[in-house]
Amino acid sequence: MAGRCTDLRRLALLSAIALVGLPAHAQTIEEKAQVCAGCHGEAGVPQEKTAPIIWGQNEGYLYLNLRDFNKGTRKNELMSPIAEGLSKDDMKALAAYFAKQKWPHLDQPAPAKDVASKAQSAIGSVGCTSCHLDQFQGDGTTARLAGQQQEYLKTTMLAFRDRSRANNPGMSDLMNSIQPDDIDAISQYLAELQINR
Amino acid sequence: MSCREVIIIGAALLLARGAHQAQAQEIEHFTPTTTTMAPTKDVTQEQLSAAGDDKNNFLHTNGNYEQTRFYPGKEINTSNIKKLHPAWIFQTEVKESLETTPIVVDGVMYVTTSFSHVYALNAKTGEQYWHYKHKMGPITTYCCGPNNRGVAVYKDKVYLGTLDAKLVALDAKTGSVAWETEIADPEEGYSETMAPTVVNGKVLIGTNGGEYGIRGFVRAYDAETGKLVWNFDTIPENSVGVWATHDPTGKDLLRDIAAEKAAYEKNGDPYKTLGGGVWQNPAVDLKTGRIYFVVGNPSPDLDGSLRPGDNLYTDSLVALDLETGKYICHLQYIPHDVWDLDAVSPPILVDVKDNDGKTVPGVIHAGKTGFVYVHKRDDCSLIRFSEPMVAQENMWTLPTKEGARMLPGANGGVEWSPMAVNPELGLAYAVNLHQPMTYQVQSSPYPEGKLWLGGAFKVIPGEEQFGNITAVDYNSGKIKWQVKTPQPMMGGALATAGGLMFTGEANGWFRAYDAESGDILWSFQAGAGVNAPPAAYSVDGKEYVVVGAGGNTQIDFKRGNNIIAFTVD
Repeated sequence: MAGRCTDLRRLALLSAIALVGLPAHAQTIEEKAQVCAGCHGEAGVPQEKTAPIIWGQNEGYLYLNLRDFNKGTRKNELMSPIAEGLSKDDMKALAAYFAKQKWPHLDQPAPAKDVASKAQSAIGSVGCTSCHLDQFQGDGTTARLAGQQQEYLKTTMLAFRDRSRANNPGMSDLMNSIQPDDIDAISQYLAELQINR
Repeated sequence: MSCREVIIIGAALLLARGAHQAQAQEIEHFTPTTTTMAPTKDVTQEQLSAAGDDKNNFLHTNGNYEQTRFYPGKEINTSNIKKLHPAWIFQTEVKESLETTPIVVDGVMYVTTSFSHVYALNAKTGEQYWHYKHKMGPITTYCCGPNNRGVAVYKDKVYLGTLDAKLVALDAKTGSVAWETEIADPEEGYSETMAPTVVNGKVLIGTNGGEYGIRGFVRAYDAETGKLVWNFDTIPENSVGVWATHDPTGKDLLRDIAAEKAAYEKNGDPYKTLGGGVWQNPAVDLKTGRIYFVVGNPSPDLDGSLRPGDNLYTDSLVALDLETGKYICHLQYIPHDVWDLDAVSPPILVDVKDNDGKTVPGVIHAGKTGFVYVHKRDDCSLIRFSEPMVAQENMWTLPTKEGARMLPGANGGVEWSPMAVNPELGLAYAVNLHQPMTYQVQSSPYPEGKLWLGGAFKVIPGEEQFGNITAVDYNSGKIKWQVKTPQPMMGGALATAGGLMFTGEANGWFRAYDAESGDILWSFQAGAGVNAPPAAYSVDGKEYVVVGAGGNTQIDFKRGNNIIAFTVD
């Protein structure tokens, strides 16, 4: 993973250690969340196309993934050391904090007609909306997909597919029932979507 | 930030706020008060027990404890049905899967929406009394939509199961919370979409989670206090059963019993994560003090290699003692199911003819398999199963890595949609799906509360999907009539003493059929999927039929937010 996020890896690591090693100083949740801005963005717009938007993501999903990073069921070289030091209360509070923020609108481009068509066909056959709901807004422990970073969506679906992301075998099974070019089309289709509240 | 900077910013904020306030005064904000006391009367156990003869109220999710969904009113009937028209429309705040059965008590109607909201409405005018918005916890795990199937009523309370696995008792007059109990840990995959059933001071409820590796149950909670009275595990510690090689209709399940027994030797009984949720209301036999319910699929749905044995009591009809929750009998429809063809549609208690032509107390259930099963109530044994209501192909082809085609698809047959019966005609009305799918298997270990299908079901793109409404003679097993519908059916049926049968479709059509012939007598276009079970009631002597039109998440039918009541002038 290249770019500023990598440069910040050391900073993230140091911050993570700092988070854990300050027993006397009671940090507010806003202070704890500052570490996250390094990759996920000061105003919720991630620094790199490979980092996911977490501002406005569904609370249950954020909590479960922090928990899975913490437990080791999900592995990421940046997130794992950060999550390792978090208590259950920290994870719940961070999830609640970021869920309350406003999802940034990244203005990603609409896919070509044939790509959109391919995406919709694959989405229909897998039945994505039965969990992610009809605007792909998700709910609770199911992620919002609409308007997420296109590259992150594609990488994630492929990671489910080859099981390098191992914390949701149900998703892995579903991603194995479609092809990589379906996944590419789906990622473009979802990235452009917005939600009508 | 320096002190000076803080002061400047603070001042700027104050100025900005002042300007905003000046603007605000120019706009009059009118907030209508839509919370008033519902003029309810306490619901007695006597009323609940006599619901089958009560044409004023609709007191149970499925009409009465027997779950016949047979409304005794005759004012709306085959001769005046053409004049049926909307009386009122209520639009909820929630435009998402709508599966609620409206409950009506003395002119007060209770409906629920996705995300566990409850509304109390004036059943005559459609105006709102109160609106309860459940404060949902962050963990909600559901496979098939954030829906809710309705409330139960008893005394001065309204009971609701929530997506974050709570049982909530509300004050029927005001909608305020009387008590709330966590049923199970949602982080492990438990949640509620079903309506509870209240009987003899107990609130009965099952659980979701057969797609999440839970251990299923039916529980009774004290209606006054919310304390647990009894628990029945739908998965016994010894879940292997008899290693059945055939299903009760005689079809070979193609099980590799030797491989299963070897896996059992190696890993022991899989009961802890075997699934077996109970999706909907039990039927209650007050005379014998029993309840009858059907149990959902084993976990993981498609991968049998991790769960050797028959996987009791998944995919079964089960009877328990109402007071104690103790096991009485069962019949397993599909031992060691690897197709997610679980038993969902609520069972119905009705007198049936046995194989000698003698009338006996019976219990019937419509399966995802496409059969209507007819049992003896005393020992759960199978008397007969109907002609198949949908196409069955390659039953029971095992799922493969590439995907194997089989019909019915994993949604059935009959999915959660409740049947209705007309006891005079001896007919049961089932709404079916024809949805060709391939079944893919891929083994993975227990994922601790995450979706655990053990593979995937894929709708075959380009192949025609449709549905049907089938009237089955449960005394012979023959299909009396069948109407094909352009889209798969999800929602449920209502039969009436006026000789009618009501059901809705995904394309927005809500129709009344002649109960005997299946002729379409009346239709109404609701504008969104009519995918909820209808109900009927009377206020001030006038009959109404009511249904939700809000679509469905599981098969992505057009969403809406309407509750529509119809009447004849």
